[in-house]
Amino acid sequence: MRRSRWPFVVTMAVLLFLYLPIIILIVNSFNASRFETGWQGFSLIWYERLFQEPEIWRAAKNSLVIAASATALSLIIGTTAAVALHRFARSRLQGVHFGLVYMPLVVPEILMGISLLMVFVAVGIQLGLFTIFLAHVTFCTSFVAMTVLARLQDFDPSVIEAARDLGAGWGTTIRRILLPLLLPGLVAGGLLAFTLSIDDFVITFFVAGPGSTTLPIRVYSMIKFGSPPLINALSTILLVITFAAVAISQRVSRSRS
Amino acid sequence: MKSAKRHNLQNALVGVMSFALAIFVLLSGCGESPRVLHVYTWADYFKPALVARFEREYDCRIVFDTFDSNETMYAKINAGAGGYDLLTPTSYMAGLMHSQDMLLKLDHALLPNRIHIDPEYLDSAIDKAMDYSVPYMVVNTVIAWLKSRVEDFEPSWSVFDRSDLKGRMTMLNDMRETIGAGLKFLGHSINTKDPAELEAAKGVVIRWKQNIAKYENEQYKTGVASGEFLVVHGYSGDILQVQKENPDVRLAVPREGTVISVDDLVIPRGAGEVRLAHAFIDFLHDPAVAAENTAFLMYLCPNTDAYPLLPEALRTNPAVFLEPGIRARSEMIADLGEAHALYIKAWDEIKAAK
Amino acid sequence: MRAKRHWKIQEVLLSLPSLFWLSLFFVIPTLLVFAVALRPANPYGGIAPGWTWANIRSLASPNYLAVAWRTVWISVLSTAVCVVLAVPISYYLARVSAKWKNVFLMLIIVPFWTNFLIRVFAWKVLLHPEGAIKKILAFSGLVSPQTSLLYNAGAVVLITVYTFLPFTILPLYAAAEKFDFQLLEAARDLGAKRLQAFFKIFIPGIRRGLITAVLFVFIPALGSYVIPDIVGGPDGEMLGNKIAQRVFVDRNLPQAAALSVVLILSVLAPLAAILVLQRRRDKPASLLEVR
Repeated sequence: MRRSRWPFVVTMAVLLFLYLPIIILIVNSFNASRFETGWQGFSLIWYERLFQEPEIWRAAKNSLVIAASATALSLIIGTTAAVALHRFARSRLQGVHFGLVYMPLVVPEILMGISLLMVFVAVGIQLGLFTIFLAHVTFCTSFVAMTVLARLQDFDPSVIEAARDLGAGWGTTIRRILLPLLLPGLVAGGLLAFTLSIDDFVITFFVAGPGSTTLPIRVYSMIKFGSPPLINALSTILLVITFAAVAISQRVSRSRS
Repeated sequence: MKSAKRHNLQNALVGVMSFALAIFVLLSGCGESPRVLHVYTWADYFKPALVARFEREYDCRIVFDTFDSNETMYAKINAGAGGYDLLTPTSYMAGLMHSQDMLLKLDHALLPNRIHIDPEYLDSAIDKAMDYSVPYMVVNTVIAWLKSRVEDFEPSWSVFDRSDLKGRMTMLNDMRETIGAGLKFLGHSINTKDPAELEAAKGVVIRWKQNIAKYENEQYKTGVASGEFLVVHGYSGDILQVQKENPDVRLAVPREGTVISVDDLVIPRGAGEVRLAHAFIDFLHDPAVAAENTAFLMYLCPNTDAYPLLPEALRTNPAVFLEPGIRARSEMIADLGEAHALYIKAWDEIKAAK
Repeated sequence: MRAKRHWKIQEVLLSLPSLFWLSLFFVIPTLLVFAVALRPANPYGGIAPGWTWANIRSLASPNYLAVAWRTVWISVLSTAVCVVLAVPISYYLARVSAKWKNVFLMLIIVPFWTNFLIRVFAWKVLLHPEGAIKKILAFSGLVSPQTSLLYNAGAVVLITVYTFLPFTILPLYAAAEKFDFQLLEAARDLGAKRLQAFFKIFIPGIRRGLITAVLFVFIPALGSYVIPDIVGGPDGEMLGNKIAQRVFVDRNLPQAAALSVVLILSVLAPLAAILVLQRRRDKPASLLEVR
């Protein structure tokens, strides 16, 4: 039977749509012109400038610190949540638990930002890296839990009972059965949490304080205060890192299957 | 076979983690100085070379966080963003913060350079005695345009009525500035508390809104330099800096008079480095430093002894030193007290208008 | 009996960390927003003592209605465009060979891994009034040389679509992959026209994916803040911008809270409806599974 060509055409058009801005961005990062309106020759000057901007590197460091620590904590909380949701799927408590974990995934970021800001103000906690960390753990936890849960749903929970029945201690069960089964989910969830944390602007913007400028906040002010070529260069570097990360995670998931 | 794969996986995981750790160690290795001065200010508001010099002389590090409006800064500080040692609010906001007991009283013994400050500015200032604030920069609101693209430019607020420039002009996303422009256009005070005058100005701004592309506080700079916008409402120093990159950019002070704002240096309550903050304020008012900073930012540091040290082009620039006639018609933004709510309502209506 | 209690204790222990954390940093903050919406503001950005309905009552103001209406139609339009584009893509991806499937999926996901602000910025560059696209359009007489492609509602919709398209494609693809394409062939054999078969068989077949996709675009779009801020015009204000303005510019937290309550309720309504509709049998996690 002859198939319609439309799905193919739309897919290609959308891929072009997705990549066009990114390609322009990369090309412009090598443009000697300060404005994006014309090509004035190949240049690495913006990369050079980028490395002379200590503020950007300080922001990058803040982002990495927050992303690493938020990922670590949300992995722990999110994974226990996923295990609970999976093992006790039929209990009423888990119904509530599921709703609670699911909500932060879809609630608009601005709401989470403003409500957290209000809590921090009410408690009188000093806004800064720590408050950003608390906020990031909150939304990362949900994403980790859902990712790990999706992996768990692919495997048979009776494996654990079987291991226990065969006399394996909890330590052995966790180490030999649960962790290997969960590992791909943990990697996927961790990577997702890390990316989301590194990428978050809106929530961070609300709960940031002195000296806690993160990379997206810096990028936002660069967009506003107008250093476009620097953003192009920074974006290109981030894109390269992203591609590398995606390639690595592909490797990891391929070695799994 | 399966365990070999698992090994691959674990190796990859360990690899990624050690990579992340390496970056972390590398970055956190950048040495931390013992003393850090946290400054919360407008973007690019201090000449970097002068900052570096101060850091060297006082063996400290200055960390800048930036805000894009007085209100954002105030909201953040009010919301508990403590830990800053120095702020640069506009005078009316400094006055408001003082009234809320949010600022420290300045120690004049630590500010010997205060004698250089222009008495004429102090005379019209809110905090004449410099109890809690020292003026830092005088900012004039101006209109900039692209010479090659805009015909018959008139130095008047009425330019925003020109429909031939529709979609290529911006006004400031700032209630006081943009309503203020409307008030000046009608010959009223920018600090009016008369609802009728405000209502009339609102009508003018809504009319202008049909012709503008965006209310914009920051991107107008690159916008006008790159030809994205043809006429922009902005701040003198910012536009003079842009002019250096694109000489086609011209600027004018509207003949109806304009808004003058003075940004002050203030130390918030709860600052950790009070002495260092005083030292930085004093450093900025050393006449040589003030002149160098002014020449870089192209705003005017109101420091009488710095004026003779300024480059000729700046000393005769009518956007830096306003012509006396325009100066007389221009005003500084004052806190409105209860009338603040009227302005918010008018601004909401402007934003919602079709 | 002992075993049952043991089981319960295990459940509670495993659920405790996330229940605790999310109660502290998600439930309580949300409740606080409701509480603050009922408090009066003082003119200095603080919250005054006492309680008031004034903030809630002020929501009826025509200024808000204009913003709310704009927020809704921009979100609906963006969601519709996303779905219209994503359905054929998911259909294509589900049928193409495994090798190409992986390549395409990767290509769709990667842009989504890049910094969100940078993607928005890239469009600013692309649609620059002195840029190539505008020049081509102006040259071919489609737009006047003086107009700007940016700073209007169209730009906001375009970039919202760009940002959320991967969120739409992934759940739809996950659903399409589980779809039995033999059903389509069967319908054709029974004399159905191609489009007829597509709408009568395929679309209902991926219904659950469709619901998830709509949810993951429409709700975040309702809370947009950055996109209208960067590429919207003087008319482009959405609810999110108004909330941010109330917090950061007007220093009026109670008003911001009242607006947030509207947003929370308008998010909760479709969400509750959908959660009830699809229950937990269909895992909403399918979106994340593909990543």
